[in-house]
Amino acid sequence: MIITAAIYIFGALAVLATLLMVFQRNPVKAALLMLTALLSTAGLYLALSAQLLALLQIILYAGAIMTLFIVALTVTPAAWRDKPAPALIRRVAGLAAAAVILAELLKLSTALKAVKTSPEFSETGTLEMARLIFGPFVFQFELLSLVILASIVGAVVLTAKKRSAQ
Amino acid sequence: MTQYTLAAISFTLFALAAAGFLTAGSLVRMLMFLELMLNAANIAFVALGPGTVSRTYAVMLFAIAAAEAGVGLALIIALAPAFKTLEAGNIKELKG
Repeated sequence: MIITAAIYIFGALAVLATLLMVFQRNPVKAALLMLTALLSTAGLYLALSAQLLALLQIILYAGAIMTLFIVALTVTPAAWRDKPAPALIRRVAGLAAAAVILAELLKLSTALKAVKTSPEFSETGTLEMARLIFGPFVFQFELLSLVILASIVGAVVLTAKKRSAQ
Repeated sequence: MTQYTLAAISFTLFALAAAGFLTAGSLVRMLMFLELMLNAANIAFVALGPGTVSRTYAVMLFAIAAAEAGVGLALIIALAPAFKTLEAGNIKELKG
C-alpha cells in the first residue's frame, strides 16, 4: 500500500518537474528542475525495489551528469543563450507532436491493463545482476567499455583542439 | 495497480521530455531533455521488464547516458565559440 502510494507520488513529482522545466526559460532553474525529476526517479526506483539502480541514479545522473550540465552552463557566456521564447507556432507544433507520441504509446500499451502488479519490497539481487553482467552479457559489457573509451577520447579531442586554437 | 499505470508514468515523462526537446531553442537545453528521455526509457525498463535482466540493461543504459552527455557537452562547448551562439536555429553553416 505504502509502496504503491510512493510510486504515485514520485511519478507525479517527476512529471510535474519535467512539465515545469518545459516552460522554464532560465537555464539554471531548468537544470535544478531536472535535478528534481532525476531525484524523484531515484525514489521511484527505490519503490520498485531496485535499490542499486536508485543509488546509481543519484551518483551518476544527479551527481555526475548534472555537474556536467552546470559546468557547461557556466563556461558558456550568458549572452549566447539569452534569447526570447521561440515562436508560438513552433511551440504549439512541438507540444502537438509530443501529445501524438504520448497518445500512440498509451494506445499501444493497452494490453498491459490486464497485467496486475503488486509492488512489494524485495532485495535487489545485486549478485544475480553481477552474474548476468559477467556471464551471458559479458559481450555487451565489454562493448560498453569501448563506447565509454570512445566518448572519453572524443571529449578530450574536441576540447583540446579548442585550447590549441587560442 | 496494473503495469499500465507504470507504463503511463514512463510514457508521460518521455512525451514531456520530447515536447521540451522539440520546443527548446538552446543546445544545452535540448541535451538536458534528451537525458530525460533516456531516463524515462530507463524507468520503463525497470518497471516493466522481467526482474534482474531488465535491471542489468538499465545499468548499461546509465553508462550510455553518461557517455552521451560527455560527448554532447564537449561538442557544444567546441561549437559555441565558432558560432557565438548556443541556439540551434542560428547554426546554419556546416563549415564555421
